[in-house]
Amino acid sequence: MKKFLTILLSVSLLVSCADDFTEIDPVGALSDASLQNATGVDLLLTGAYSVLDGVRNGYGADWHISGDNWWMDVIADDAHKGSTDGDQPDLLALEVFNWETTNPYVDGKWLALFAGVNRANGVLDLINKSDNPSEFSTQAAQARFLRGHFNFEIQVMWVNVPYISEQNFADNEFNQPNSGPIWSQIEADFTAAMNDLPASRGGSYSEPGRPIKSTAQAYLGKAQLYQGKWASASSNLDAVINSGQYSLNSDYFANFRSDGENGSEHIFAIQFAADAGQSFQGNRGGTLNWPIGPMTGGMCCGFYQPTQDLANAFQTGADGLPLLDTWMNNDIANDAGINTSEAFTPHTGPLDPRIDYTVGRRGIDFNGYGAFTGKENIRASFTDVSGPYANKKSMYTAGDDGNRGTGGWGEQRSGINFHIIRYADVILMAAEAAVETGNLEKGRSYVNQVRTRAMNSPRADSSPNYVIDTYNSAWTDAATARKAVRHERRIELGMEGKRLFDIRRWGQTVSTLNAFIANEGRTIPSFQARAFTVQSKHSALPIPLNAIDQSDGALSQNPGY
Amino acid sequence: MKKAFLVVLMLLSGFVYSQDSISGSVTDGNNNPIPGASVVVDGTNRGVVTDFDGNYSINASTGEQLTFSSLGFSSQTVTIGNQTQINISLAEAVDLLDEVVVSGYQTQQRRTLSGAIGTVDTEEAFKTPATNAAEALQGRVAGVQVVSGGGPGYAPVVRIRGYSTTNDNSPLWVIDGVQTTDANIMRDINPKDIEQISVLKDGAAAIYGARASNGVIVVTTKRGQYNQENTMEVDAWVGIANVTRTPDMLNAQEHADMTWQSILNDGNVPSHPQYGSGPSPVVPDLLNVPIPSGAEYEGASARVMNGGMGTDWFDELFDPATQKNLSITASGGSSQGRYHMSLRYVDAPGTMVYTGFESVSTRLNSEFKIGDKITVGQNLTATFDKENYSSANGAVQSAAFSSPLVPVRDTNGNFAGTYANSARTGIANNPIADLARGSDNYNKNTKIIGDVYLKYEITPKLRFTSNAGVSMRDLDGRYFTKLNPEHGEAISVNDLAENTFTINEWKVSNTLNFRDSFGEHTLDLLIGTEAVKNNYKGFGIKRNDYLFEDPGFYQLGNGAGTPVVTSSGESSWSLFSLFATANWSYGGKYFATATVRQDDTSRFAKATSDAVFPSGSVGWLMSAEDWFDSSIFDTLKVRASYGEMGNQNIGGSNLDVNISYISEGLSWYNFSGGGAATSGAYVASKGNTNLTWETTTSTNFALDMGFMDNKLQATIDLFKNETTGLVAQDTKKISTTAIDAGAPYTNLGSMESTGFDMSLNYSDSTSSGMNYSIGAEITKASNEVTELISDFYAGGGTRIGAITRTSVGEPISYFYGRNVIGIFESAADIASHAQQDGAGIGRFKYEDVNGDGVINDGDRTKIGSPHPDLLYSINFNMSKGPWDMSMFWNGSVGNDIADYTALYYESPYFFNGNRSTVVLDSWTPTNTNTDLPALSETTLNNEFTSMNSFFVRDGSYLRLRTLQIGYTLDESLAAKIGAKSARVYYNGTNLLTLTDFRGLDPEVPRSGALDIGVYSSQYPTQSMSSLGINIKF
Repeated sequence: MKKFLTILLSVSLLVSCADDFTEIDPVGALSDASLQNATGVDLLLTGAYSVLDGVRNGYGADWHISGDNWWMDVIADDAHKGSTDGDQPDLLALEVFNWETTNPYVDGKWLALFAGVNRANGVLDLINKSDNPSEFSTQAAQARFLRGHFNFEIQVMWVNVPYISEQNFADNEFNQPNSGPIWSQIEADFTAAMNDLPASRGGSYSEPGRPIKSTAQAYLGKAQLYQGKWASASSNLDAVINSGQYSLNSDYFANFRSDGENGSEHIFAIQFAADAGQSFQGNRGGTLNWPIGPMTGGMCCGFYQPTQDLANAFQTGADGLPLLDTWMNNDIANDAGINTSEAFTPHTGPLDPRIDYTVGRRGIDFNGYGAFTGKENIRASFTDVSGPYANKKSMYTAGDDGNRGTGGWGEQRSGINFHIIRYADVILMAAEAAVETGNLEKGRSYVNQVRTRAMNSPRADSSPNYVIDTYNSAWTDAATARKAVRHERRIELGMEGKRLFDIRRWGQTVSTLNAFIANEGRTIPSFQARAFTVQSKHSALPIPLNAIDQSDGALSQNPGY
Repeated sequence: MKKAFLVVLMLLSGFVYSQDSISGSVTDGNNNPIPGASVVVDGTNRGVVTDFDGNYSINASTGEQLTFSSLGFSSQTVTIGNQTQINISLAEAVDLLDEVVVSGYQTQQRRTLSGAIGTVDTEEAFKTPATNAAEALQGRVAGVQVVSGGGPGYAPVVRIRGYSTTNDNSPLWVIDGVQTTDANIMRDINPKDIEQISVLKDGAAAIYGARASNGVIVVTTKRGQYNQENTMEVDAWVGIANVTRTPDMLNAQEHADMTWQSILNDGNVPSHPQYGSGPSPVVPDLLNVPIPSGAEYEGASARVMNGGMGTDWFDELFDPATQKNLSITASGGSSQGRYHMSLRYVDAPGTMVYTGFESVSTRLNSEFKIGDKITVGQNLTATFDKENYSSANGAVQSAAFSSPLVPVRDTNGNFAGTYANSARTGIANNPIADLARGSDNYNKNTKIIGDVYLKYEITPKLRFTSNAGVSMRDLDGRYFTKLNPEHGEAISVNDLAENTFTINEWKVSNTLNFRDSFGEHTLDLLIGTEAVKNNYKGFGIKRNDYLFEDPGFYQLGNGAGTPVVTSSGESSWSLFSLFATANWSYGGKYFATATVRQDDTSRFAKATSDAVFPSGSVGWLMSAEDWFDSSIFDTLKVRASYGEMGNQNIGGSNLDVNISYISEGLSWYNFSGGGAATSGAYVASKGNTNLTWETTTSTNFALDMGFMDNKLQATIDLFKNETTGLVAQDTKKISTTAIDAGAPYTNLGSMESTGFDMSLNYSDSTSSGMNYSIGAEITKASNEVTELISDFYAGGGTRIGAITRTSVGEPISYFYGRNVIGIFESAADIASHAQQDGAGIGRFKYEDVNGDGVINDGDRTKIGSPHPDLLYSINFNMSKGPWDMSMFWNGSVGNDIADYTALYYESPYFFNGNRSTVVLDSWTPTNTNTDLPALSETTLNNEFTSMNSFFVRDGSYLRLRTLQIGYTLDESLAAKIGAKSARVYYNGTNLLTLTDFRGLDPEVPRSGALDIGVYSSQYPTQSMSSLGINIKF
């Protein structure tokens, strides 16, 4: 019996003899230690690129956080939200300038961009902690470029914003005050990136999705332009142009087709790719932005419709030049209130051909799917705020369905890249800087480069009355030149998520948008009826209440909210 | 600690000797041994206590008298003749204090208890048909709150003494020694197998140390009796279940009128694709919608049903369901062995169409004696179940805002839907279509829980027990998403998701138990070790594009798309413990218990991974004192306890380190805009090496009382639980300007919970032979956060932002937002009020909380609390002759509910959808006494887009939980079917609910500590009328 007892006791104490019984390492996950090497740096760096599209870990519907800034056009004068008013009521509230601090679009976008900033910080922190940081200078430069991009977006959207450094990241000190602009930090990142990035792609650094020296220089110039630092902006943007690395695509619309991706005009783009599975690398943020109806085969969900105001901006005179002072007073013919079954005659007046790369309108070819049949493709009803037009630039061209992704319901995840900066944008920014520094003729020549390309591009349709020409008389009046450059930006870059920030930096938020609301009311009375008056507070998005609540007092609300 | 264990063991062994003269056994009326009974030679100081098997031996000679006594039994005296063996059967004395209570690794008589341990009258509780045995706890134990889970098979939310942590507040379940925090565990247990349920509410739970702070529920299953003839019991019931209550929704004409009035109120000209553009809306006969293409839609149209009244979606959603339960148990025993076995089959289709739960479980418990010293035994239950309700919550939400115009099916019999957004028939899915299409989806669970034990009686006073147990759960989940061509946002490609995981856990415990008495002292010592290890592994795969939407085709291999791994994970945790407990009593009057447990967990970094949890309690049975005057009290006992307990259920393993993941969806990037993507990683969660134990200190003071010949018995416990080092994710560390990683878990504050729980019971019989009893349980538990490292924590985000907030000086998870103080009546009213965006006549008027003349985010305040002032239940039982009747009510007073569903059916958030009929009471210039603002087409009035007091509703309710009437057949009648007894009964569950809450269900089962009381769409509680029969053979 004693033996038996001894055995029992031994068994009973056996489990306690294993000292490491209660030490269990995580399985299938990467610890910090496993990332402390070149592979780890590349993994985290790729992770930082990955959030360019806004898709982050955690909260934020895909369409709230979209990297292509489509809804920034909705709160400017380029686009309406689309679909019916009751669909995505939070976006309706934004569109009509009823901006609440709890709006999930604003919250989601904020979270997505700070995720980007900090994924870049994470790369820098990892490199800083490595044995030989200089070994990773190219990776560090890419991380700083990305951080510059994310911070730029944060800056132009919220204006009074906090800056989170890699040191803050390392210390878990994420509650920093939003005392004002962070332009100097943004410039510092782009400058550093410029210094350490390869001058050109090639060898092991050949992928078009990664920035090179001139990419960083273009973004630096852009950042300076936004601050009104015209001279330095001019010099940096001119340098990019003079690098000879870029040229305008001969076909304007190739910029918005998968076969033209990463062409000569590509500077920096979110690289999207669709596949037959879940299309994780497709444009998830743009999943709602497809025309419904039979023409394109039952897509969803009818969001992101160009405005009448944008369509009007493409009107030209007999000289082929934009109507810089009067375009907004007359509406081109539109099919608002007209059903597909009813007759409609498209506008017969002279138009810039770029209208039909940008605005899908009744009677005109729609990306190769045939003449757009109007209402049956538009989800918004006649009484909703969104009007009769469809977006073309983010839509596939017929026959490009191999680049169509699949989502859960009728939405698609596009594989078409989104340009953060394309060469035409650089030229027009350089033109603007030239004009602001008194080099009006240099500005004219830049603008004409862009117009020449538009003149010579294949036409989207043969029927409209396209009349376009370059500015053939010398520019002598700075105010007129400024007006011409600014208008050129609108029609060259329409529906590319840029317009809101142009209006803001020009100090025109209140005047332009209130005038837009009044003009748009001619075509869409319900939009004018619903819209609140735009005030100076609308020059910056509200800091999300969620962010203020979680900041332990570090963040304060933007004025007026 | 280990050395101490050995030393104690040796010391205990030293006590062991005996001298044979008279021996025998002491049993109860059912031949069960009575351990610890005292055997005393009268007039001497010679005395012994019986061992674990009720055996004794004592040195005594002929002519002397032996007195056998044990708590709970009438004592008996025998004069010794010439026999050497005296076996005694003691009669049970009926007294509250005589109940045997399982208090952890031991049993104790209630008389000697000094901690707060509640027990369920299982016989009474399980008369009521229940698919989940945990439902039986509802209202049965003071201090325990049980909120129905809703649908069949759903786990109810069980809380003991309210909330004491920002973490998981789920109690620990101990099923025959196997421990789990899985709230689903009780649906795997056949109620007919349950012998006893004890609820350890205070420091008594500290014996479970690191897992004890939310209380412990100990479930003991039956195992038959020695020397018991084989018996069998068949219990079967069949019931008709129905939904308890659904909101009244607008019919088509009311919807049309509501639409018109909304448009008019917004200053627009009414026009609607369905209702026309005339001066008043016209409900169409056929919907004006584009019918999808395809042969089955040829010639179809969607007709507005019910003579133009339209579809009542809640009515369509719920149908009476026939639920069935069959339980067969058998048990018996010889002198060497005993067993209990059972089979149970549950078929519980839900009240919501196409949903349901089905399960089969078996149990085998047995125990055998090997020689005199060794007892071996086992418990094993295996369950196979199938859940089908994955679409249920979504369907409730859809029903809450589906247009009444849309019929369930079109004229060709296809499902009808919203067709196109331009048709303005809303955007909700057809909930019936969703449920029907999901009817082949399932979660199948295979679960095994079992243990094997060995008891070795080293001496009659010293026993060693070793117990090894396993629990295993294997999930097989299938979810096929079919195309829905009738929907305005039709699914473009079908897909199949397969999910599977396995959780297995083993545990080994070894205890050494010593019992003895010295004079009037009785001592019961236990020391033990325990090791637990839990492993999880699982993954999910999704593949799209299937040619056939037929279950026979639902295999991943049949899809045409690229398969995607949607989830994969593996984790483990372990716990190693040493524990000791001592129970002492003196003279049947003074009682004390001391317990200490040391736990070492893998959940924390090594430096902080172990902790010691002590507890102690004392009790004094004053009524047993000679001087006690029993003119008022028949029984009076005072108890006090103190204990420290831990909570290692803290949201994950490996919380001390940063963890990164490689995720195709979240961290890969395609650097060339095509071809294969490059894999990347992101930091998914931040670690905190300083994280340490959250500790709850529980103090309890109680009185047990008996009056009127103990016919009236009462227990009141006053308690205070103080929790320090609250573990929660620190959202201030990872705020919105941070990386998209999960925030580190931190010890962020303290809270306390105070209150009382009380039970009263009166039982008596009348001269006419009627037995009756009336009982009541009352619980009050208030909590307050006393310390936080940040100003406050907000609950999770919703379409109206965070709904709750947790801050110092307030209860956990109170409702926070703007306070609606009325509705603007006039322009003057607006002008005289603080400046408010969206202000207008007929619109909400918010309180200017900070008095700055502007309504903005600074004007948010506490607008309600989800914590009840009081929980109560009333129980009434009676029997006379063959008839018996019982009735059971329970209720909650003073709690608020944040009805998030109001956004769907009381606001225009989804304008084209339907509303509840409460909107008929919306503000108009002539209807101003209302809480609903004027109808509008949009939410652009800042009314429904952020949290405010409109969403906060009184959640008090009173429910007739059960009404049962039974009839026991005459024995001679029963004998005709070969039975010993037979009883038939009617049972009604949730027959009546009294509440002002206008949502679906005032019972809001939320498991998260920071969203308590937030009602969002969920499967509503069912009511049921059933007939049952119970036959014993």
